[in-house]
Amino acid sequence: MKRAYLIEMTVLKDYMRQLIPLGFFVAFCISLGMQSIVAAPAVITMLDFMMGSMAAAAYDEQNNWGLFRLTMPVTRRDVVLARYAVILTLGCTGMAIGLLAAAVLTGVASAVELPGGLSSILAFDPGTVLGMLFASFFCMFMGSAVASVITPVYFRFGQTKATQYLPMMTVLIFIIPMLIIGSGVLDEAAVSMETLAELLKLIETPAGTAACMAVFAAASLVVLGISAAVSLRIYARREL
Amino acid sequence: MTGQPVSGYLAASDRAAPRTDPMTLECDDMTHLIEATGLTKHYEGFSLDGVDLTVDDGEVVGFVGKNGAGKSTTIKALLGLIGVDAGEARLLGQVSTGGDLAPEVRERIGVVFDTVSVPPHLKVGDVGRLYGRAFRTWEGHAFARRLKDFGLDAGKQVKELSRGMGMKLSLACALSHGSSLLILDEATAGLDPMAREEVLDMLRDFVAAPGRAILMSSHITSDLERIADRVVCIDEGRIVFDLAKDAIIDEMGVARCRVADFERIASSGFVPESELRYQRNEYGIDVLVPDRYDFARRFPDVPCDRMTIDDYMTLMLKGGVR
Repeated sequence: MKRAYLIEMTVLKDYMRQLIPLGFFVAFCISLGMQSIVAAPAVITMLDFMMGSMAAAAYDEQNNWGLFRLTMPVTRRDVVLARYAVILTLGCTGMAIGLLAAAVLTGVASAVELPGGLSSILAFDPGTVLGMLFASFFCMFMGSAVASVITPVYFRFGQTKATQYLPMMTVLIFIIPMLIIGSGVLDEAAVSMETLAELLKLIETPAGTAACMAVFAAASLVVLGISAAVSLRIYARREL
Repeated sequence: MTGQPVSGYLAASDRAAPRTDPMTLECDDMTHLIEATGLTKHYEGFSLDGVDLTVDDGEVVGFVGKNGAGKSTTIKALLGLIGVDAGEARLLGQVSTGGDLAPEVRERIGVVFDTVSVPPHLKVGDVGRLYGRAFRTWEGHAFARRLKDFGLDAGKQVKELSRGMGMKLSLACALSHGSSLLILDEATAGLDPMAREEVLDMLRDFVAAPGRAILMSSHITSDLERIADRVVCIDEGRIVFDLAKDAIIDEMGVARCRVADFERIASSGFVPESELRYQRNEYGIDVLVPDRYDFARRFPDVPCDRMTIDDYMTLMLKGGVR
């Protein structure tokens, strides 16, 4: 699997170089709109999880690379596992870079008076740090969930064909929960406002944020693991 | 066409003598570097139908046939890239069909498809790094030397290369990881005559070392006439002939006949009538002659040219049997 991982990282090296500034640009725009950098690392995290899985699948179809790669000393299993390892690497790297950049900006804002009231926006605040960590790990889970859905589809159909099906699948993924909620079948199990307020209060504490981060990280690994198991079965049977 | 492989126009002993080198082969008796028996694969509208193919130690086997005849499908089946419905293939003694070939075996197989097969945004130097990550046996210095020989700039992107330069890059990669077996699918397509000669020299050098062989599919049969030991032809998913190249180009001939000559040859019993292959053209009738020297003695008034692989393929695939 190590070989397949290194091959994939070599192929994606240039794309990663493009993805990082793109992530910063999107994060900058969102931060400007929100007048806060709390969501910036989360945006980069989510972007890297999603774009990483899409880009890797796109390269498979260029010059018949996906087929040719199997003539190298890697198995189909290696290819699938390496793909998930690369998605995880890109997402986690994006999150680390985002958090590091936020820390550097906060440090600079504390040391130097920045124009346009930026110093007050970027000033260190424990609440902002907790929010940033919570949002980053939440987006890690969301990014993993998206990657977990699209990656098996890419392994089954290839990127070109999958692109035709994904919009429909995305709509279904959003519509089905709405239909279930709208039907009222979950009314009995609905959480009361008091419980929700208690939960939000817990999340805002350092211990609560740490617990949420652990839960999101574990959930990310679980969804990616389930997705990888599905992709292994799909790719083993696929005629390239 | 009967669908049966033709290997009997001349004796099977015309095949290149296999070599064995225990230093490079795992088993002393593993003289077939490629051995396929009864490879069968059904698609809608096309079937690979019981393909038998061997490539022995020291051999260069040319694999010919029309577009869509089954060459690439056979190669994919040999490499285990597609599942087969029946039959078995072995590469370097290991079963390659029906699953993943062991990475240790793949290390020793160099593959070139008909186009450069790496993502187009990669630079030539990155392709070397990619192969270095994939193959433990990667020879970086040999690759750099080949890039220089081929005039390939390491800083150029794959998408900036012409088709010919792309094929040179693919060949440089395939020749730089200590392969024992090369499987080339239209590898000389798009190369200019000088570059083709250069590549053929490299392939000759490659196969001169013990324990090595090449399977080379090509439409450029003049290349095969210069390098191949044996020629295997496939048509509609079936092997049509499997002959030593010398048996075709050194001994066979094409008699350029008028109708009266043709009738005279047919009635002479020189070639059994059921095996007399011919093709009509605007000038007369071309007849496949198994031994052109004997033919010239028997029919000195009928011009008889040296057979080319193209002529033989045309007569076998498009010609009629009397």
